[in-house]
Amino acid sequence: MILQILINGILLGGFYALIGVGFSLVWGVTNIINLAHGAIALLGSYITYYMFQNLHLDPFLSLPFSFILLFIFGYLIQRYIMNYVVKAQIFMLLILTFGIEIFLVNFMTTFFSADFRSVTPTYAGSSMEFAGVVVPYIRFVVFVICLVVTIIMGLFLEKTWIGKAIRATSLDLEAAMMTGISPRKIYSLTFALGSGLAGLAGSLLSLTQAFSPNIAGGLTLRAFIVAILGGLGRVEGAFLGGVMLGIIETLSSFYIGEGYKNAIAFGLMVFMLIVKPSGLLGRKYYAEVKH
Amino acid sequence: MKKLCLVILFIVALITNSYAADKIVFGASLSLTGKLAKEGNLVKDGYELWKEVVNKKGGINVGGKKYLVDIKYYDDESDPNRGAKLVEKLITEDKIKLILGPYGSESVFATSAITEKYGAIMVQGGAAADKLYTRGFKNLFGIYTVATEYMSDILEMLKDKDPKPSTIAIVYSNDLFSTQVAQGAKAKAQSLGYNIVLFQDYPKGTQDLSTVIVQIKSKNPDIIIGCGHFQDTIVIVKQCKDYKVNPKALAFSVGPTLPDFVDSLKGDSEYIFGAAQWTKSLKYKDPVFGSNAEFVKLFKAKYKEDPNYHSAGGAAAAVIFQRAIEKAGTFTDIAKIREALSKYDEETLFGKIRFDSTGKVVGKSMAVIQILKGTQVTVYPEAVAEGKMVYPKPAWK
Repeated sequence: MILQILINGILLGGFYALIGVGFSLVWGVTNIINLAHGAIALLGSYITYYMFQNLHLDPFLSLPFSFILLFIFGYLIQRYIMNYVVKAQIFMLLILTFGIEIFLVNFMTTFFSADFRSVTPTYAGSSMEFAGVVVPYIRFVVFVICLVVTIIMGLFLEKTWIGKAIRATSLDLEAAMMTGISPRKIYSLTFALGSGLAGLAGSLLSLTQAFSPNIAGGLTLRAFIVAILGGLGRVEGAFLGGVMLGIIETLSSFYIGEGYKNAIAFGLMVFMLIVKPSGLLGRKYYAEVKH
Repeated sequence: MKKLCLVILFIVALITNSYAADKIVFGASLSLTGKLAKEGNLVKDGYELWKEVVNKKGGINVGGKKYLVDIKYYDDESDPNRGAKLVEKLITEDKIKLILGPYGSESVFATSAITEKYGAIMVQGGAAADKLYTRGFKNLFGIYTVATEYMSDILEMLKDKDPKPSTIAIVYSNDLFSTQVAQGAKAKAQSLGYNIVLFQDYPKGTQDLSTVIVQIKSKNPDIIIGCGHFQDTIVIVKQCKDYKVNPKALAFSVGPTLPDFVDSLKGDSEYIFGAAQWTKSLKYKDPVFGSNAEFVKLFKAKYKEDPNYHSAGGAAAAVIFQRAIEKAGTFTDIAKIREALSKYDEETLFGKIRFDSTGKVVGKSMAVIQILKGTQVTVYPEAVAEGKMVYPKPAWK
């Protein structure tokens, strides 16, 4: 049974990683704590839901749409709203993203209604079983997608010019500007990437549970824990943080009680902030306060 | 101008007062705006339909004389404290002592304290909290099955089925209402001789219940009962299928009765049971509307949509109030009306209604619905049901 619990935790962790990675990237690079992250993810859930419901499109095939649409959405938000206040105090940015969150949640409530939705394709619930351990296909695929996305993101940041520019901007803004990198463009791109990844997470979320506009806050909170655990701005960190959170939740639920799992997850976050505020893989210069 | 207004008001007051002699006026403070506006207005729809039907028949028969009905409404803006003030206004300024209940446990809790204080009387069809009936009040009567008895009828219904279920797992969200439902279900299951193999709470709005499902699977119970909210109900169903947990019956307190349930789960929603205060297909008779079916028909004609249990609860509360007044032979003597209510025993559109000494409804069964071929079918109480239930539940496809 314990093996099953561990595997459950890892599979769940894959999803947490995906919701956390975009959040962590945006925070690490642009120093914006994006409180609208969960709401943006839900937009992805609705894209998948409506494509499935109206066009009978397989939920996994809607992933590219979700990513691209929210990539554009994120770019526009950063380019035409956030960039105007990005030099202001961090407090102003918090208020701004909080405002965007409220707007998005109410927008979704108005146009998509507050009813809970879920996407259930015909193959939902099928699972493979070996040695008494059950691995549900959908959760497994979600995990694999998260892993692949993490690897691609890691390569992108390491190998491409834009990736390097993003990292350079997060490490030393002034030096990056001296080499001809335009922080405005990099910020917009990073935020767009973060939103696109949130959209992916949202699309996958619609398969495993029910969602409505008002679970946005809960999603942001998960992303927050993942980012703190893993270390800001680090893609591998977010993945590790996500899997860790998943395992902690399932283990504490098994040994201590399902009712305590949230308390334990948050307790761990506080512990991490005290012991190693930069997170498991975070380094000192990532996400230093620049303002 | 001000003076003129006052004069007109005075005249209007005089006219309504002189009318009052041939009229019975009820009072109601409802949430017509604010977060409970939807439910509040649905209850009002129920009251209004009742008023229309009664007045069409000539009114309430009190001691051989017929009195027309009127209802004075106030809007509590979804604030229980404001509701309490408005009920006080109804009693002290408008001199109305017959109070129809608001919607929501908090509102009924607050306003019934006022009716009790002033010796007025309230019949409510809009709140299911147990705490309403533990204060020793004499003048509050409620027709919703209370939280702790929510799952009783499902357990009763399943106990003698073949193959006979013996083990049961109960999982519940750790908010107040769900906890009460779960504790009630546990007590009832024990008294019926079921063996409870798991009794587990989980945090409200959780995104993953895999650990709980794995624990359930290791116990392999005949029945799984979920007491939570729509979101966690969906997670439980999905993960039960993921982990191939196949109980003989799967039942929830909240979820299956909502139209989004089938929409969200598609084929996986089949054969799942849900508890309902009332459904529109119950074949009950009713002393005012004739029958539940007739009530549904009239409601549809008036409002162009199907009634749900909010409206039915409102209409039924009013029907019972009316019948008690007729039996008491007075609409001014509160003590006699209370007497008639405590002896009340009649079939209404909401079920067979009796009250215990605390004013809580007894004898009314919860209806049980089962999802069959993508629609909700009322399968219990069997005498008034529309279809036969499927048991044991076939394994997940």
